[in-house]
Amino acid sequence: MKETILNLVMVVGFLAAGCAQETKNIDLMHDEGKPVMALDYRDFDRAASELVQSMLGSGALKKEEGGRYVVATGRIVNDTMQRIDTDQLMAKIETEMLNSGQAIMTSAVGSGADKLVHETRELRDSEEFDPNTVAKRRTLIAPELSISGKIFQRNIRYDRGRQQVEYYFQLKLSDVKSGLRFWQDEVIVGKRGSSKSVAW
Amino acid sequence: MKRLGLILTMLIVLGCGSYEPHDERIHMREQIRSDTIESNIVTRPIAHAFSDLAGEGLEITNAITRRNDAGLLVLHVEGYNKSYRTKRFRYRVEWLDESGFLIDTKTTVWLPMSAMGRSPFSFNVVAPRPEAVDFRMDTRKWE
Repeated sequence: MKETILNLVMVVGFLAAGCAQETKNIDLMHDEGKPVMALDYRDFDRAASELVQSMLGSGALKKEEGGRYVVATGRIVNDTMQRIDTDQLMAKIETEMLNSGQAIMTSAVGSGADKLVHETRELRDSEEFDPNTVAKRRTLIAPELSISGKIFQRNIRYDRGRQQVEYYFQLKLSDVKSGLRFWQDEVIVGKRGSSKSVAW
Repeated sequence: MKRLGLILTMLIVLGCGSYEPHDERIHMREQIRSDTIESNIVTRPIAHAFSDLAGEGLEITNAITRRNDAGLLVLHVEGYNKSYRTKRFRYRVEWLDESGFLIDTKTTVWLPMSAMGRSPFSFNVVAPRPEAVDFRMDTRKWE
């Protein structure tokens, strides 16, 4: 009897192990996975691609006198119910702006600022560093344009069992000196699914 | 039986409006415009069934490129949905440089698009780099 129970436990154990979900790497180039109610990398890829195309296509980054604009990344507000690192969106956009040959991003100011740019300037009075290798005063270049935006979410009850979640990606490009806005656009990602699905 | 045939023929003829397109640039959709012999209350379900059976779908009618003021290549794609159903699809454009090498860019992702039944559609894609001189476009079903 004991042996039978032991065999039964082993069989159940094997079966349960066989049912475990196998971990697979996602094919990021041609992902055929089902969409999810929350924002996933495909939504960020799409939003970034459409916003970059809109910005570059508008000609807003074309400098009349030639050369490249110096652009600082401003504040990107996350007004969704999800914890989003807005760099996930901005890193793609900044990369494409840089590679387009029409803009240079600055790390001196803005949300993309690099602390070391300022910290290394504090070494001017240090006797440990060769003063010729420390950045001189008035060498930083001020940004001409600033890029800022917002991601927000609206949850709507669609019918009894379904909800509609709308995500808005808004971006704007402004001239720092005049405050004039050169470009702005919005990409909407809409999802409809079970009310039981949690969109955060 | 003969009477039924007669009634159907009369319905087809009577259901036949006099829709004539005024301007090719303006698309009047079925059930909005006046009926025609191919599309009226009697023939419509038959035409839809035949279209489904024949597996009609999207057709690209034109793909042109030009350089915009910023020196970036812009691809303009035009097509027509021959099916009576709305077709949802995704497209992905790869950009090639002068030597035919693929330009690595974050904008080369699957983007959604949809075309309503028996309707034209068009979209633009902007190359993010000035070195792009040619393109390659792929499509797939929108899951």
